[in-house]
Amino acid sequence: MIELKNITKIYGINTNNKVIALEDINLKIKEGELVVLRGASGSGKSTILSLIAALSKPSSGEVIVDNKRISKLQDNFASIYRRDNIGFVFQKYNLISTLSVKENIILPLVPLNLDVKDVEDKLSVVTKRFNIAHKENTIVRNLSGGEQQRVAIARANINNPKIILADEPTANLDEKLSLNFIDILKELKKLNKTIIIATHDPLFFGLDFVDRELKIHNGKIIS
Amino acid sequence: MILSPEILAILILDFIFIFFAIIAFILSIKIFLGWDANSTTKKQYRLEKQSFLTAIIIKYIFIVKVPLFLFFIFTLDKMSNVIIGAMCAAGVVDATPYGIYLFIFKIMNLYFFGYWLVIHNEDIKYETQPYTRLKFGIFIGIFFLFIVELILEWLMFSSINIDKMVSCCGTLYSSSSTSSISIIFHINKTLLLSIFYGNFLFIYIFYLLRKKYLFVIANILFILTAISSLIVFFGTYIYELPTHHCPFCFLQSDYYYVGYLIYTLLFIGTFYGIITGFVEKSKGNKIENYKISVIFNFLYVILVSLYPIIFYIKNGVWL
Repeated sequence: MIELKNITKIYGINTNNKVIALEDINLKIKEGELVVLRGASGSGKSTILSLIAALSKPSSGEVIVDNKRISKLQDNFASIYRRDNIGFVFQKYNLISTLSVKENIILPLVPLNLDVKDVEDKLSVVTKRFNIAHKENTIVRNLSGGEQQRVAIARANINNPKIILADEPTANLDEKLSLNFIDILKELKKLNKTIIIATHDPLFFGLDFVDRELKIHNGKIIS
Repeated sequence: MILSPEILAILILDFIFIFFAIIAFILSIKIFLGWDANSTTKKQYRLEKQSFLTAIIIKYIFIVKVPLFLFFIFTLDKMSNVIIGAMCAAGVVDATPYGIYLFIFKIMNLYFFGYWLVIHNEDIKYETQPYTRLKFGIFIGIFFLFIVELILEWLMFSSINIDKMVSCCGTLYSSSSTSSISIIFHINKTLLLSIFYGNFLFIYIFYLLRKKYLFVIANILFILTAISSLIVFFGTYIYELPTHHCPFCFLQSDYYYVGYLIYTLLFIGTFYGIITGFVEKSKGNKIENYKISVIFNFLYVILVSLYPIIFYIKNGVWL
């Protein structure tokens, strides 16, 4: 269960250019739920994701995930929480362009010091699931946009996280690849993952397997 | 004021320290007064960010202070070349009325900063940060001691007169009436050595019994008995001179800088010994602080004891 309680997030809080990204947000997301956050650029969707991922802290209020007060965690504990619970698909994928597909995907496993066999097993599962096994040794910069996205999704899933967060996942894809991504989402939903997508892509609106669509406007949930 | 490159470096670092320590001090007061770990207000989130920054400042002051202390000794030693009468750092320390107090404050602050760091390291091992208020409260106290140290340092360097003759260490560390520590030379050597080895034995016994407060007291006493016996007895074997008792000369190249090793072992041993009063075993550490203390104190005892033993084997007599 993810819970946002009275969350306010202000950027540049002590400056003249302060921006209120979120204002007194309250939100509960159940385990296994797929939620789409809709809204224009700058509405606060990405901020919600970064708070749930403990990538940033609120200005006030708190984020609770599985009864843990995420927003109160220090950086070292926040990293452990992210490592164990969160798979994040970024808008620009945030892959390391000079590394191979395999190296990018196993990156989250490095701090775990797993056996080579365990790493290979986990790698094999996700590369097959997301149909990227045949490109395992290709350098990432030589991949197409859709392939890069599949690598990003595989990397987000290598630790088998309970929560998948995707920030504008189809912003750099054409319609066909976007529909492929939606198919992947269906797969992940079947695995009972809690999935939160921040997007303004109309392809995501009205999908039958989406549990909830929330409209964000000027830092507030309006519907 | 003698503005040698070494003194300039120390003074520039002092100014940097003051600048950052004042920031840390102001933030520490805010954190100490306003900290509420359970709160989710803007104020608390701001304090959490500030506590992170403040801890980094204090940590880096300490990290620079440790080698800087050794550099300070090295500088005093080097200055002894230009001060008439001074043979080593001891003469320079005695050249002004501030030297000895500066020395005491420096050592004391090293221990205090070290303890602050231990509490900080424990604090960040827990999600709830149970020691945050305590550690910043402690820093408020340390800040004043630190400022006194920096003022004394400035006063000492600015009041050294190279034309004024100072006493050499041979006079300062002797039983003569001009020596401020002449009293320890009146203690019977056998008694002093018995106290020194007995003190170490007690440290070991309290370690076996895990009596933490007795272990702390034994370690505090060990600093005193170790330094006294070093000056009165063991030092003479390092110099192979029965009349030379200086605790600084063996920091020089003539004695292969062994003093740095001696004092480092003593510092680490007693530091971890006193820590046990606060933290018996750090969370996640496999080795108890007790053990680290006993090991380093033991190495210290072995090292200083080797000098008279080797001297006796070589010469067949005691000094």
